Amino acid sequence: MNFKLFRLAVFAMWGLLATNYVAAQVSSAVKASALPTTEATAGEPRSINDWLMRMHEASRSRAYVGTFVVSSGGAMSSAKIWHVCEGNQQVERVETLTGAPRSIFRHNDQVVTFMPDQKVVRSEKRESLGLFPELLQSTDSRIADFYSVRREGAERVAGVEADVIVLLPKDNMRFGYRVWTEQKKGLVVKLQTLDTDGKVLEQAAFSELQLDAPVKMDKLIQMMGKVEGYRVERPVLVKTTASAEGWILKAPVAGFKPVSCYRRPAAAANAVTGEDPLQWVFSDGLASVSIFVESFDRLRHDKEASLSLGATQTITRQLDAYWLTVMGEVPMTTLRLFASGLEHKK
Amino acid sequence: MSQSKLSAYKKPAGLLPMNIMKPSMQTSELMSALVDGQLGGENFAAALQACRHDESAIASWNTYHLIGDVLRSSGFGVRGADSAFVSRLNQRLAQETLLGAVPRSVDPDWAAPAKGIGASEPTHRRDPASNDANFRWRLVAGVASLAAVSAIAWNASGLLVTTSAPQLAQTPAPQQLVVASPQGPMVRDARLEELLAAHKQLGGTSALQESSGFLRNATFETPQNAGR
Repeated sequence: MNFKLFRLAVFAMWGLLATNYVAAQVSSAVKASALPTTEATAGEPRSINDWLMRMHEASRSRAYVGTFVVSSGGAMSSAKIWHVCEGNQQVERVETLTGAPRSIFRHNDQVVTFMPDQKVVRSEKRESLGLFPELLQSTDSRIADFYSVRREGAERVAGVEADVIVLLPKDNMRFGYRVWTEQKKGLVVKLQTLDTDGKVLEQAAFSELQLDAPVKMDKLIQMMGKVEGYRVERPVLVKTTASAEGWILKAPVAGFKPVSCYRRPAAAANAVTGEDPLQWVFSDGLASVSIFVESFDRLRHDKEASLSLGATQTITRQLDAYWLTVMGEVPMTTLRLFASGLEHKK
Repeated sequence: MSQSKLSAYKKPAGLLPMNIMKPSMQTSELMSALVDGQLGGENFAAALQACRHDESAIASWNTYHLIGDVLRSSGFGVRGADSAFVSRLNQRLAQETLLGAVPRSVDPDWAAPAKGIGASEPTHRRDPASNDANFRWRLVAGVASLAAVSAIAWNASGLLVTTSAPQLAQTPAPQQLVVASPQGPMVRDARLEELLAAHKQLGGTSALQESSGFLRNATFETPQNAGR
């Protein structure tokens, strides 16, 4: 009799364990088969591309008004921001509160900067603003190769609940970022640039934020067009390629791909030196480096220096008959690699 | 000085010699000459008479002494004396002293109105240092030095005009700017500021650009004349 009960008990237990096991398998199978979406399922970590895409989309879908504060290298600036989007159109207005008064309007990739103290308006098209989705969806999505993402927790910033994530570089050649993204849609509310030791180099954050504020797009566009009394400048940038200019980077720096190359417009006073400076831009997806090449001028270019302002590091150096200025939000060692790898062939 | 008071004052005929002072001279000129020690004899007596009868004369007297004090004692905060207090003091002094004036150096704050008002003094000679003929020249020198200082300040302010934010179309003369950085004070020039602006404008090819990079670059303007 006892033995029979015992067997019954064993069967029962085995049955329970089996169903439990099966159930666990099924549920995990269900989770694994779910397509990775920008909406996080419970417990599933988002990939770095997911996070970045989410941040990017949030800035295209939410209207807000806020005060933005940037502190870099011991200096602090703030500005009032209005942001509105309708479909594919985005308009932003930035009124600086610190330093010289500036009103900067952006309509998609067209940027208009009003400088009331000089009565000058600068109107230009910024190509870098339209590039992101292509950047991410290209086959060599190199961001994930060089950065990893980790969620650190949650924090309340500017009155909204935000997720704190850290984008850590996988090598010592770039900086890290700590990003606070608003929990509902992913709008970036605070961003810190961290150096290789994890020290904060620069911080940009909203000090106050009013989401879904009633901002009128046509009113902002109207303000953007009010140029009476101002002199309008349209800087002309000549797009070129580095090889056409005779420059190559013989040792490419890991992760950084050349993005664009421009000839900057020559100023009237610069006509003496003759040549327009060249700007060659590299990026690894999150950080960018600009190499400026000008003709060497003994009067002006007297000292090779390495400078740092907040997150932006700069190196100036002479290379034969040229003066190089290498600038970027990367460690100094990376800039030195760029400077030493540059070669002029002609 | 009020003309009405002057007309009320009737000069005794023949008292003022014609070759020094015109009879229609203003009270203030009279006082000025008195303060300068340029009056003698009958003119002096006439001046004292004016002081007795004309309040504005005493006011001029106070003013001239105040000017003299300010010019002589550089930086000393001389305040005008309360005239009611002074007149009461004078009465007390007149009662107490019969001759000789209260030494001027006792308290410069009073601007020495106590001297000379006592009509009992027949002659009145100043110390050379107190108010000599150099008074007008000192006034001229003061105005000239003020003009020189303001001219220098004007030129200096012209040099201190801050340059505008770096623009692509400009090439300002390379100015050395010292800013603080983790490596200590660094020297940056205006050309570098231009390149920095260009880097921020075009080099912002980053996944973070549209979400926050553009706002960051629009908000933050590198300090131009940071002399920390």
